[in-house]
Amino acid sequence: MSTNLAVSPVADIATLPDPAAQKAAVANLGIADQSLTPRHGCKGPGAAAWLESFGLPIPPQPNSWLPVDGGGLIARLGFTEFLVEGPATLIARLASTPRSAGVYPVLRQDVALLLGGARLDELLRQTCNVNFRPLDLAARPVVLTSMVGVGVTVIPELRNGQPAVRIWGDGSYGHYLWETLLDIAVELGGGAVAPHSFN
Amino acid sequence: MKIMTCPLNGPRPVSEFFYWGELRPMPNPATASDDAWADYVFNRNGAPGLKKEWWCHTPSNTWFIAERDTEKDVVLKTYFYEGDQ
Repeated sequence: MSTNLAVSPVADIATLPDPAAQKAAVANLGIADQSLTPRHGCKGPGAAAWLESFGLPIPPQPNSWLPVDGGGLIARLGFTEFLVEGPATLIARLASTPRSAGVYPVLRQDVALLLGGARLDELLRQTCNVNFRPLDLAARPVVLTSMVGVGVTVIPELRNGQPAVRIWGDGSYGHYLWETLLDIAVELGGGAVAPHSFN
Repeated sequence: MKIMTCPLNGPRPVSEFFYWGELRPMPNPATASDDAWADYVFNRNGAPGLKKEWWCHTPSNTWFIAERDTEKDVVLKTYFYEGDQ
Protein backbone atom coordinates (compact mmCIF):
# COMPACT_ATOMS: atom_id res chain seq x y z
CA MET A 1 0.00 0.00 0.00
CA SER A 2 1.47 3.35 -1.03
CA THR A 3 1.02 5.98 1.64
CA ASN A 4 3.47 8.56 0.38
CA LEU A 5 2.06 11.97 -0.36
CA ALA A 6 2.66 13.44 -3.81
CA VAL A 7 2.08 16.96 -2.53
CA SER A 8 2.36 18.36 0.97
CA PRO A 9 -1.01 19.23 2.57
CA VAL A 10 0.33 22.77 3.02
CA ALA A 11 2.23 23.05 -0.27
CA ASP A 12 0.07 25.90 -1.55
CA ILE A 13 0.47 28.09 1.54
CA ALA A 14 3.89 27.16 2.96
CA THR A 15 5.83 29.72 0.99
CA LEU A 16 9.29 30.70 2.15
CA PRO A 17 10.69 34.22 2.53
CA ASP A 18 14.20 35.05 1.37
CA PRO A 19 17.13 33.27 3.09
CA ALA A 20 18.10 36.30 5.21
CA ALA A 21 14.59 36.53 6.63
CA GLN A 22 14.60 32.78 7.31
CA LYS A 23 17.89 33.07 9.18
CA ALA A 24 16.45 35.84 11.34
CA ALA A 25 13.21 33.91 11.92
CA VAL A 26 14.79 30.64 12.96
CA ALA A 27 16.59 32.30 15.87
CA ASN A 28 13.24 33.17 17.44
CA LEU A 29 10.82 30.57 16.12
CA GLY A 30 11.04 28.85 12.77
CA ILE A 31 8.30 26.66 11.33
CA ALA A 32 9.11 24.24 8.52
CA ASP A 33 7.05 21.80 6.48
CA GLN A 34 8.35 18.22 6.42
CA SER A 35 5.24 16.50 5.17
CA LEU A 36 6.94 14.87 2.19
CA THR A 37 9.38 12.88 4.33
CA PRO A 38 8.69 9.19 3.55
CA ARG A 39 6.94 7.44 6.43
CA HIS A 40 5.13 4.24 7.23
CA GLY A 41 2.58 3.37 9.89
CA CYS A 42 1.47 0.02 11.21
CA LYS A 43 -0.09 -1.42 14.33
CA GLY A 44 -1.29 -4.62 15.87
CA PRO A 45 -0.02 -7.36 18.15
CA GLY A 46 2.47 -8.55 15.53
CA ALA A 47 3.76 -5.10 14.55
CA ALA A 48 6.83 -5.01 16.83
CA ALA A 49 8.10 -8.41 15.69
CA TRP A 50 7.42 -7.60 12.04
CA LEU A 51 9.34 -4.33 12.20
CA GLU A 52 12.15 -6.05 14.08
CA SER A 53 12.49 -8.47 11.16
CA PHE A 54 13.60 -5.49 9.04
CA GLY A 55 16.41 -4.81 11.49
CA LEU A 56 14.64 -1.84 13.01
CA PRO A 57 15.14 -1.06 16.70
CA ILE A 58 11.93 -1.26 18.73
CA PRO A 59 11.40 1.38 21.42
CA PRO A 60 10.83 -0.65 24.59
CA GLN A 61 8.54 1.90 26.25
CA PRO A 62 5.19 3.13 24.91
CA ASN A 63 5.34 6.75 23.74
CA SER A 64 9.06 6.78 23.06
CA TRP A 65 11.24 6.74 19.94
CA LEU A 66 14.59 5.55 18.68
CA PRO A 67 16.80 6.72 15.80
CA VAL A 68 17.02 4.57 12.67
CA ASP A 69 20.25 3.78 10.82
CA GLY A 70 20.67 6.01 7.80
CA GLY A 71 18.59 8.80 9.33
CA GLY A 72 15.04 8.84 10.55
CA LEU A 73 13.23 7.44 13.53
CA ILE A 74 10.82 4.84 14.76
CA ALA A 75 8.22 6.02 17.26
CA ARG A 76 6.10 3.75 19.42
CA LEU A 77 2.66 5.31 19.77
CA GLY A 78 0.96 3.61 22.68
CA PHE A 79 1.58 -0.12 23.03
CA THR A 80 1.32 -1.63 19.55
CA GLU A 81 1.33 1.19 17.00
CA PHE A 82 4.47 2.42 15.23
CA LEU A 83 5.43 5.34 13.03
CA VAL A 84 8.60 4.93 10.97
CA GLU A 85 10.32 7.75 9.11
CA GLY A 86 13.53 7.10 7.30
CA PRO A 87 15.32 6.55 4.03
CA ALA A 88 12.97 6.19 1.06
CA THR A 89 14.33 2.70 0.34
CA LEU A 90 13.43 1.49 3.84
CA ILE A 91 9.95 2.98 3.71
CA ALA A 92 9.35 1.51 0.25
CA ARG A 93 10.44 -1.90 1.53
CA LEU A 94 8.04 -1.65 4.48
CA ALA A 95 5.20 -0.60 2.22
CA SER A 96 5.75 -3.34 -0.35
CA THR A 97 6.56 -6.30 1.90
CA PRO A 98 3.57 -8.52 2.79
CA ARG A 99 2.62 -7.97 6.39
CA SER A 100 2.69 -10.74 8.98
CA ALA A 101 -0.38 -11.86 10.88
CA GLY A 102 -1.45 -9.29 13.43
CA VAL A 103 0.05 -6.36 11.54
CA TYR A 104 -2.33 -3.76 10.20
CA PRO A 105 -1.50 -0.73 8.04
CA VAL A 106 -2.03 2.79 9.31
CA LEU A 107 -2.47 5.41 6.63
CA ARG A 108 0.09 8.15 7.28
CA GLN A 109 -0.70 11.15 5.13
CA ASP A 110 0.26 13.61 7.83
CA VAL A 111 1.01 17.22 7.86
CA ALA A 112 4.47 17.05 9.43
CA LEU A 113 6.01 20.20 10.84
CA LEU A 114 9.26 21.13 12.50
CA LEU A 115 9.24 24.06 14.90
CA GLY A 116 12.21 25.38 16.78
CA GLY A 117 13.81 28.43 18.28
CA ALA A 118 14.34 30.33 21.49
CA ARG A 119 10.65 31.28 21.80
CA LEU A 120 9.20 27.84 21.09
CA ASP A 121 7.94 27.39 24.64
CA GLU A 122 5.82 30.54 24.32
CA LEU A 123 4.07 29.04 21.32
CA LEU A 124 3.56 25.71 23.03
CA ARG A 125 2.03 27.40 26.06
CA GLN A 126 -0.52 29.11 23.81
CA THR A 127 -1.46 26.09 21.77
CA CYS A 128 -1.04 22.96 23.83
CA ASN A 129 -1.89 21.61 27.28
CA VAL A 130 1.32 19.68 27.89
CA ASN A 131 4.25 21.25 29.71
CA PHE A 132 7.23 20.13 27.62
CA ARG A 133 9.90 21.74 29.80
CA PRO A 134 10.17 19.02 32.47
CA LEU A 135 10.40 16.20 29.92
CA ASP A 136 13.68 14.29 29.91
CA LEU A 137 14.80 14.48 26.28
CA ALA A 138 17.38 11.75 26.90
CA ALA A 139 14.46 9.33 27.38
CA ARG A 140 13.26 10.25 23.87
CA PRO A 141 9.62 10.91 24.77
CA VAL A 142 6.73 10.95 22.32
CA VAL A 143 3.75 13.07 23.36
CA LEU A 144 0.28 12.47 21.95
CA THR A 145 -1.88 15.44 22.70
CA SER A 146 -4.13 18.12 21.28
CA MET A 147 -2.68 21.28 19.72
CA VAL A 148 -5.08 24.11 18.85
CA GLY A 149 -7.76 21.41 18.90
CA VAL A 150 -5.98 19.02 16.52
CA GLY A 151 -4.79 15.61 17.69
CA VAL A 152 -1.02 15.56 17.18
CA THR A 153 2.04 13.44 17.83
CA VAL A 154 4.95 15.51 19.12
CA ILE A 155 8.61 14.70 19.61
CA PRO A 156 10.55 17.33 21.57
CA GLU A 157 14.29 17.63 20.96
CA LEU A 158 17.22 20.03 20.87
CA ARG A 159 18.57 21.36 17.56
CA ASN A 160 21.77 23.39 17.74
CA GLY A 161 21.12 23.92 21.42
CA GLN A 162 17.66 25.35 20.79
CA PRO A 163 14.39 23.64 21.74
CA ALA A 164 12.51 22.13 18.82
CA VAL A 165 9.49 19.91 18.24
CA ARG A 166 8.53 17.63 15.43
CA ILE A 167 4.76 17.49 14.95
CA TRP A 168 2.59 15.08 12.99
CA GLY A 169 -1.14 15.64 12.54
CA ASP A 170 -4.01 14.67 10.28
CA GLY A 171 -3.23 16.13 6.86
CA SER A 172 -6.79 17.39 6.43
CA TYR A 173 -6.07 19.86 9.26
CA GLY A 174 -2.86 20.95 7.54
CA HIS A 175 -3.99 24.40 6.43
CA TYR A 176 -5.51 25.23 9.79
CA LEU A 177 -2.53 23.96 11.76
CA TRP A 178 0.04 25.69 9.56
CA GLU A 179 -1.80 29.03 9.43
CA THR A 180 -2.48 29.08 13.17
CA LEU A 181 1.05 28.14 14.20
CA LEU A 182 2.59 30.47 11.60
CA ASP A 183 0.48 33.40 12.87
CA ILE A 184 1.76 32.81 16.40
CA ALA A 185 5.33 32.31 15.19
CA VAL A 186 5.22 35.63 13.33
CA GLU A 187 3.89 37.36 16.47
CA LEU A 188 6.91 35.95 18.30
CA GLY A 189 9.38 37.26 15.75
CA GLY A 190 9.65 34.05 13.75
CA GLY A 191 8.24 32.71 10.52
CA ALA A 192 8.35 30.05 7.83
CA VAL A 193 11.75 28.53 7.15
CA ALA A 194 13.19 25.66 5.15
CA PRO A 195 13.83 22.46 7.19
CA HIS A 196 17.61 22.69 6.67
CA SER A 197 17.57 26.04 8.49
CA PHE A 198 17.61 24.10 11.77
CA ASN A 199 20.82 22.24 10.94
CA MET B 1 -9.75 23.16 33.97
CA LYS B 2 -10.79 19.60 34.72
CA ILE B 3 -7.97 17.09 34.60
CA MET B 4 -8.34 13.40 33.83
CA THR B 5 -5.46 10.96 34.02
CA CYS B 6 -5.05 8.64 31.05
CA PRO B 7 -3.42 5.37 32.20
CA LEU B 8 -0.98 5.64 29.28
CA ASN B 9 -0.50 9.34 28.57
CA GLY B 10 -0.85 10.80 32.04
CA PRO B 11 -2.86 13.78 33.27
CA ARG B 12 -4.51 15.83 30.53
CA PRO B 13 -7.38 18.34 30.33
CA VAL B 14 -10.74 16.67 29.98
CA SER B 15 -11.15 18.31 26.56
CA GLU B 16 -8.73 15.67 25.21
CA PHE B 17 -11.13 12.89 26.22
CA PHE B 18 -14.34 11.42 24.91
CA TYR B 19 -17.01 9.76 27.03
CA TRP B 20 -18.52 6.50 25.80
CA GLY B 21 -21.02 5.60 28.47
CA GLU B 22 -21.22 3.42 31.52
CA LEU B 23 -19.50 0.04 31.60
CA ARG B 24 -22.44 -2.36 31.57
CA PRO B 25 -22.02 -6.15 31.50
CA MET B 26 -24.06 -7.62 28.65
CA PRO B 27 -26.46 -10.40 29.68
CA ASN B 28 -26.27 -13.58 27.62
CA PRO B 29 -28.82 -12.93 24.85
CA ALA B 30 -29.49 -16.66 24.52
CA THR B 31 -30.53 -17.09 28.12
CA ALA B 32 -31.63 -13.63 29.30
CA SER B 33 -35.32 -12.96 29.75
CA ASP B 34 -36.95 -10.48 27.38
CA ASP B 35 -37.25 -8.01 30.24
CA ALA B 36 -33.56 -8.30 31.18
CA TRP B 37 -32.51 -7.92 27.54
CA ALA B 38 -34.83 -4.95 26.95
CA ASP B 39 -33.47 -3.35 30.13
CA TYR B 40 -29.91 -3.78 28.84
CA VAL B 41 -30.70 -2.42 25.37
CA PHE B 42 -32.98 0.49 26.18
CA ASN B 43 -32.41 1.68 29.74
CA ARG B 44 -29.56 3.71 31.18
CA ASN B 45 -28.91 4.51 34.83
CA GLY B 46 -28.87 8.29 35.17
CA ALA B 47 -28.88 8.34 38.98
CA PRO B 48 -25.82 10.10 40.42
CA GLY B 49 -23.33 7.93 42.24
CA LEU B 50 -20.25 5.81 41.69
CA LYS B 51 -19.95 4.81 38.03
CA LYS B 52 -17.49 2.83 35.94
CA GLU B 53 -17.36 4.43 32.51
CA TRP B 54 -15.63 4.04 29.17
CA TRP B 55 -13.44 7.01 28.25
CA CYS B 56 -11.06 7.54 25.33
CA HIS B 57 -8.00 9.78 25.09
CA THR B 58 -8.70 10.97 21.56
CA PRO B 59 -5.22 12.10 20.37
CA SER B 60 -3.87 8.61 21.04
CA ASN B 61 -7.15 6.65 20.76
CA THR B 62 -6.47 5.07 24.15
CA TRP B 63 -9.57 3.46 25.66
CA PHE B 64 -9.79 2.93 29.40
CA ILE B 65 -12.13 2.78 32.38
CA ALA B 66 -12.71 5.75 34.66
CA GLU B 67 -14.39 5.33 38.02
CA ARG B 68 -16.27 8.53 38.73
CA ASP B 69 -18.49 9.80 41.48
CA THR B 70 -21.04 11.59 39.32
CA GLU B 71 -22.72 13.08 42.37
CA LYS B 72 -19.56 14.88 43.52
CA ASP B 73 -18.11 15.18 39.98
CA VAL B 74 -14.85 13.54 41.02
CA VAL B 75 -12.71 11.08 39.06
CA LEU B 76 -11.67 8.41 41.57
CA LYS B 77 -9.33 6.33 39.41
CA THR B 78 -8.61 5.31 35.84
CA TYR B 79 -7.23 2.04 34.50
CA PHE B 80 -7.20 -0.23 31.46
CA TYR B 81 -10.11 -2.62 30.91
CA GLU B 82 -9.06 -6.16 31.67
CA GLY B 83 -12.18 -8.01 30.54
CA ASP B 84 -15.19 -9.19 32.47
CA GLN B 85 -14.27 -10.08 36.02
